[in-house]
Amino acid sequence: MEIRPILSAMRRNKVGAVLIALQMAVTLAILCNGLFIVEQRLSLSSRPSGLDEANVFILTNQWVGNPPDLKARTQADLAALRSLPGVVAATVTNSYPMSGGGSSEAVKLNPDQKEASATTALYLVDEQGLQAMGVKLIAGRNFNADEIPDKAGFDDQVPPTAAIITRVLAGKLFPGQSALGKTIYVQFQKHTVPIVGIVDRLQVPWVEGDSWAADFNDNSTIEPFHYFGGYYHYMIRTQPGQLASVIQAAEKQLYKLNRARVIEKSVPMLEARKIAYKDDRGLAIILVVVCAALLAVTAFGIVGLTSYWVAQRRRQIGIRRALGATRNAIIQYFQTENFMIAISGAAVGVALAVSLNLWMVSSFAMARLQTGYAFVGAAVVLLLGQAAVLWPAIKAASIPPALATRGGA
Amino acid sequence: MLKMTHLSKAYRTEVVETYALRDFSILVKEGEFVAVTGPSGSGKTTFLTIAGLLEEFTGGEYQLDGANVRGLNDNQRSRLRNEKIGFIFQAFNLIADLNVQDNIDVPLRYRGFNGAERRRRIQDALSRVGLSARARHYPAELSGGQQQRVAIARALAGSPRLLLADEPTGNLDTQMARGVLDLLEELHRDGATIVMVTHDPELALRAQREVHIVDGQVVDLAAQPRMVAAAHAGA
Amino acid sequence: MFSYYVNLALRSLRRNVVLTALMIAAIGVGIGASMTTLTVFRAMSGDPIPQKSHQLFAVQIGNWDPQNRRDYGREPDGLQPQLTYMDSMALMKSHAAARQTAMYVGGFALTPSNPELRPFQIQSRAAYTDFFPMFQVPFRYGAPWAAADDENHADVVVLSAELNDKVFGGANSVGKTLNLDGHDYRVVGVMEHWSPTPKFYDLNNNQFGKAEELYLPFTRAIDAQMPSWGNYNCSGDIGEPGWEGRLRSECVWFQYWAELPSAESAARYRSFLMNYASDLQRAGRFRWLPRTSLRDVREWMDYQQVVTNSARILVLVSFSFLFVCLLNAMGLMLAKIMGRAADIGVRRALGANRYAIFSQCLIEAGVIGLAGGLLGLVLTALGLWGLRVLLSEEVGRLTHMSVTDISIAVALSLTAALLAGLYPTWRAGQVQPAWQLKAQ
Repeated sequence: MEIRPILSAMRRNKVGAVLIALQMAVTLAILCNGLFIVEQRLSLSSRPSGLDEANVFILTNQWVGNPPDLKARTQADLAALRSLPGVVAATVTNSYPMSGGGSSEAVKLNPDQKEASATTALYLVDEQGLQAMGVKLIAGRNFNADEIPDKAGFDDQVPPTAAIITRVLAGKLFPGQSALGKTIYVQFQKHTVPIVGIVDRLQVPWVEGDSWAADFNDNSTIEPFHYFGGYYHYMIRTQPGQLASVIQAAEKQLYKLNRARVIEKSVPMLEARKIAYKDDRGLAIILVVVCAALLAVTAFGIVGLTSYWVAQRRRQIGIRRALGATRNAIIQYFQTENFMIAISGAAVGVALAVSLNLWMVSSFAMARLQTGYAFVGAAVVLLLGQAAVLWPAIKAASIPPALATRGGA
Repeated sequence: MLKMTHLSKAYRTEVVETYALRDFSILVKEGEFVAVTGPSGSGKTTFLTIAGLLEEFTGGEYQLDGANVRGLNDNQRSRLRNEKIGFIFQAFNLIADLNVQDNIDVPLRYRGFNGAERRRRIQDALSRVGLSARARHYPAELSGGQQQRVAIARALAGSPRLLLADEPTGNLDTQMARGVLDLLEELHRDGATIVMVTHDPELALRAQREVHIVDGQVVDLAAQPRMVAAAHAGA
Repeated sequence: MFSYYVNLALRSLRRNVVLTALMIAAIGVGIGASMTTLTVFRAMSGDPIPQKSHQLFAVQIGNWDPQNRRDYGREPDGLQPQLTYMDSMALMKSHAAARQTAMYVGGFALTPSNPELRPFQIQSRAAYTDFFPMFQVPFRYGAPWAAADDENHADVVVLSAELNDKVFGGANSVGKTLNLDGHDYRVVGVMEHWSPTPKFYDLNNNQFGKAEELYLPFTRAIDAQMPSWGNYNCSGDIGEPGWEGRLRSECVWFQYWAELPSAESAARYRSFLMNYASDLQRAGRFRWLPRTSLRDVREWMDYQQVVTNSARILVLVSFSFLFVCLLNAMGLMLAKIMGRAADIGVRRALGANRYAIFSQCLIEAGVIGLAGGLLGLVLTALGLWGLRVLLSEEVGRLTHMSVTDISIAVALSLTAALLAGLYPTWRAGQVQPAWQLKAQ
């Protein structure tokens, strides 16, 4: 196929060609970055929390008023929950992963440090805590029943006796060594605490995209307490398949024990995950829809403008056919023409995509686009152009050669 | 009415310069019916487009109804075209979207007449060409001869000083052509100034006088009687 | 002439329905996408209380050691957005502004009078009575409690419209009692529906959350030890244990707003704050000169970064989409107009000057713009509904079109169509009557 005559014929329709190329360029830039963001948000929302999510649910409990026998009530609740059929373990806790609410604090290795060594989330659970969460212990041991003091609400500054930290936190605090047996300073450096165990993974409560806790997402510290107060969560792990029935039974049982309470919610962890990442998933869906619409609009634009060019050149096409061009040759002509426009559009588009990404990196603290995305995007846009031009090209190919003799449009 | 002196029109491409009209002079007085003839490519169409202010010319002078045309900008030329000239084209050039009366209405709108004035003129023009019954028809519903008569009505509606016709019967069969020419003669009898470009010598005979163009210049027919005789005999 | 051109435009558009539909669709879809995100963006970033936003100020006091800055503070200047109990009380006592209120959000368990019904949770705000006139809270029944009630730690409450509907069926409940956490409180007022979005008066705890359902005097809430459901941040020293320890600590958990009606009163309050801070340093509470800050509503919203990155990304993407649609429409308009070049040539021959042709084409573009705008409005409504379904409840509160949004949509659509039509119109004006006719 001769490029030059096609190019010079295109010069007559310069503006139209530029319009198509520009549309493809912008579509490419948005497509690359949009899909990149989608991939990021989706991978963000599929990070494991460390919990046995399928079998864990949270029951948030608020007592009416501030009765003096909170400890007894909580113990009674726990006993009842643990004896329900289908329950593997249950604990009281101040917070849980993906909840959006909890405590965090700075960790130091010795109290005179100027700056903290790391930031961590705090989970306060009893000896059934690890089992209730379903986290994997990879070193050390669980808490013993005799090292668990009472903690009457958050303002009770009882010192913790031990800590279990996550693998990531251990690596941050004691790189290259085993963290077991080492001590850290917590609770505003008022207490030293020995590390007695390390779990594989436990996320912080704040997990959404753009979260303020993004830097320390996997830093968690578990401290042993019998926690009770006016407001806390029961974390309950069930046998597989028993989640729904246990939830029902649990609520009923607790209200039977004592009606002067509000069960704010009973949330399976899988549901908590959905709620936590709703906006990230939503953004991903919206971006996919917009990208699809962009591709559609660009495709329609190509179809429209090419059809117009075909109509404009009817006589010329008829003459070509009269001079011996086959139908395929006509189709090829338009495909080549579109390809050249698309190539320049794609080149500009890749440059646009990269600069757009760089701008977003600086303004929104986004990650950098991998070049793979740019090439995939270019390929998609090129294919789209070729597919879109096919229909008008086929219509052009069916213009009868007799048109050349008719002398009129 | 229409006076061109030593007019020239050149087309320049990168390689060559061609003259469509060269040292061209013509004088059409008010009330005349002049035929402009010449072989294909002689420049008679160029003459018409320049006369109709559709194109600029390179050299010489052109006076229309006493006013010098050189150096007018696009707005002024459009206004002159609108007020002084009525076009009749070979291909009718009616606007297919609009019906007969809306077609005639087009130049009147650009003139700025009010609604009542426009309606009056459209009615007058239609009755002049004998098509009052077809006011709401669309061009596609009319015969070639009828379409040309609508075009003539459109040309007349603004009371132009000059009618310019380009092969007015070129797309018509003999019978319709006769009807159109009868109408043109009638208009001439009523005092219109008409310049008609045609390659048909029989048509040229219906006019008052003939101006013959060859290679962009006026040719004195008397000096070349054989050409005229040949034209009359064969063609 | 204008109605003539509109008439011509309508005929011409009707002539090639497919092309017209494509052009209207291009504009409409582009407007739909961009207005959907713009509506949300404007709701996020708009002034929630334009009559007073320059008179309401959020107070900050830098009570944490600036040396420890790395340990805390996402805020760009390292100042905490909330205050300690001590500072809140000191500022309230000094009464240095026309109106002021310290406040915090917490909750109670309400035990209904009907023993069959279970207790339920109510998100509550503890504030001073100035809160209501300061933020222009409308009342349906009764009125805010008196200043004396603040002083006397009275057990009175103001209900939201929703809570009043739920508990009292929407009737006038002034004088009735509610049992909160085992104690009776008397209703003194019921609000009209009021839930500003964003929740500008408390951007620290769920920026787009619902407004609280119940309001009670700050002093009473502290007495009742209503737990804070908001952010509670400490640095350096967590203070002593227990509720009392909390009140005496350097931990911040209160929002503080002052109403300063004029620029002079604002300036005076600023120096008042500076003096307060220096007094604290002199008294030995701090070893450094605490910085203070006073920001009005708009500055506060900026500072607290109310507009999320996701919102910005969506606006960027949707306006790029509009741009592509605009290019699309331009191409279609070009095709349409150039396909009618013969007609344009005839009109020029009949005396239309360039401006007449420009007007005709631009008005045709304008008609497309209007039709596209109408389609765009329908698609925007659809898009906003989609956002409500896909995104969290907080974002859902931002998805309602105001009259301004509708006008913006129509204006944007017209502008887009006219911009798209600029080049095709110019090309139409370039059509030489002579060439078009010679080519016959």
